[in-house]
Amino acid sequence: MYRVHPRALVGAFAAAGAALWFTPAYPHAVCGNRIFPATLGIDDPGVQDEFSPTFVYLPYNSDGSREIDGNFSWSKTIIPNVGVIVSDGPTWLHPGGYGWDQLSTELQWGNFCWPEHELMATVGFEVDWGNTGTGSQASPLTTYNPVIDVGKGFGDLPTSMNWLRPAAITAELSESLPDHSFTFGDQNSTTLNWGFTLQYSLPYYNANVAEISNDFFKHLIPITEFTFSKPVSNFAPGTNVSTGTIQPGAVYITGTYQVAVEAVIPLNGASGHGVGVIASLDLYLDDLLPDTLGKPLFNPFGAK
Amino acid sequence: MTIRSFARLGASLAFALSATAAFAHAQLEKAVPAVGGTVSSPSEIRLEFSEGVEPRFTGVALTSANGTAQPVGKSAVEPGDNKVLIVKIGKKLPPGVYTVNWHAVSVDTHHTQGSFNFTVAP
Repeated sequence: MYRVHPRALVGAFAAAGAALWFTPAYPHAVCGNRIFPATLGIDDPGVQDEFSPTFVYLPYNSDGSREIDGNFSWSKTIIPNVGVIVSDGPTWLHPGGYGWDQLSTELQWGNFCWPEHELMATVGFEVDWGNTGTGSQASPLTTYNPVIDVGKGFGDLPTSMNWLRPAAITAELSESLPDHSFTFGDQNSTTLNWGFTLQYSLPYYNANVAEISNDFFKHLIPITEFTFSKPVSNFAPGTNVSTGTIQPGAVYITGTYQVAVEAVIPLNGASGHGVGVIASLDLYLDDLLPDTLGKPLFNPFGAK
Repeated sequence: MTIRSFARLGASLAFALSATAAFAHAQLEKAVPAVGGTVSSPSEIRLEFSEGVEPRFTGVALTSANGTAQPVGKSAVEPGDNKVLIVKIGKKLPPGVYTVNWHAVSVDTHHTQGSFNFTVAP
């Protein structure tokens, strides 16, 4: 199953006539002059209130199956800079059939920000809960994933390098630790996951370097994401092969939402075949609903 | 999840989104003098944001190329349009490169900031 990072719909509850749904998204993150957009292959380095449905199409997995994912993710701040991401969604495999993914939750603590250098970091602990999937995605295996996300904008470069100041890089490192060494006789390997993104923010260019007259381009962030994964222990002989994807695309960002579309290019045969696509709508709940869903559940200091 | 559940999700989200006015982080959309532009000595700085801003907590600092602060007036929004912030410049600027450092608080209290240069032509 393709790992669309934290995001997924998990549920909903009704209150005061409005049902509030658990859903997802990579939080967009603000640090100094920089806005790091929500990204698709890895998470961004912020903790925010967001909701994100994501669509994935992969023509051929490594086993030859076609895959379609519909994921939802809800990021909810508990107190400022501490939040939970709840993710889930359906997966269709052909051959393989339909299944509801394992529930994924991640506790995040972060928004550590050095504004002058547009340097930001967040840490998290994600759990993919066993026995919460159905059909083709059913598995008794629970996986624990400590995660760190960082971002660095280059706006602190001298103005003589103005052309490079809109650029930014974000990165993620995590390790997947299964709770069982074996499932149905198969080894469950511990996996190291890492990735990074290269971004060039035209909104940053428009606001800090030179005016862009075209209203569409001034909201666009061309981006390429790189994701990698490699078994590091308890793997069957010959299976510790690195897998990953390269995902070139673009993010269209506004004050209240963003739309992102990327190609998914497998790095090698063990990662899949053919070029897939991933697309996401990300709603910034902290901006859309600042007085209700978009604010921390508890805010003892009144900060936003 | 069933199709009905998806529909309920969409309806609930639409309801929730429609129930509250949408605000956001105030992003700089346009400036006069233009970001990176060249002008004759301007009398004011106009910043057009993506969202309404709160002038009491929104400000502009203007410095010359050697870092000397230039006098500017009190921040004010354009009458009838709180997305436009106007700051009067306190003196005629001699030719050179100037840096505008702005910070903004949108009407929903989100903070943003930025900086840009413009050039005053001889």
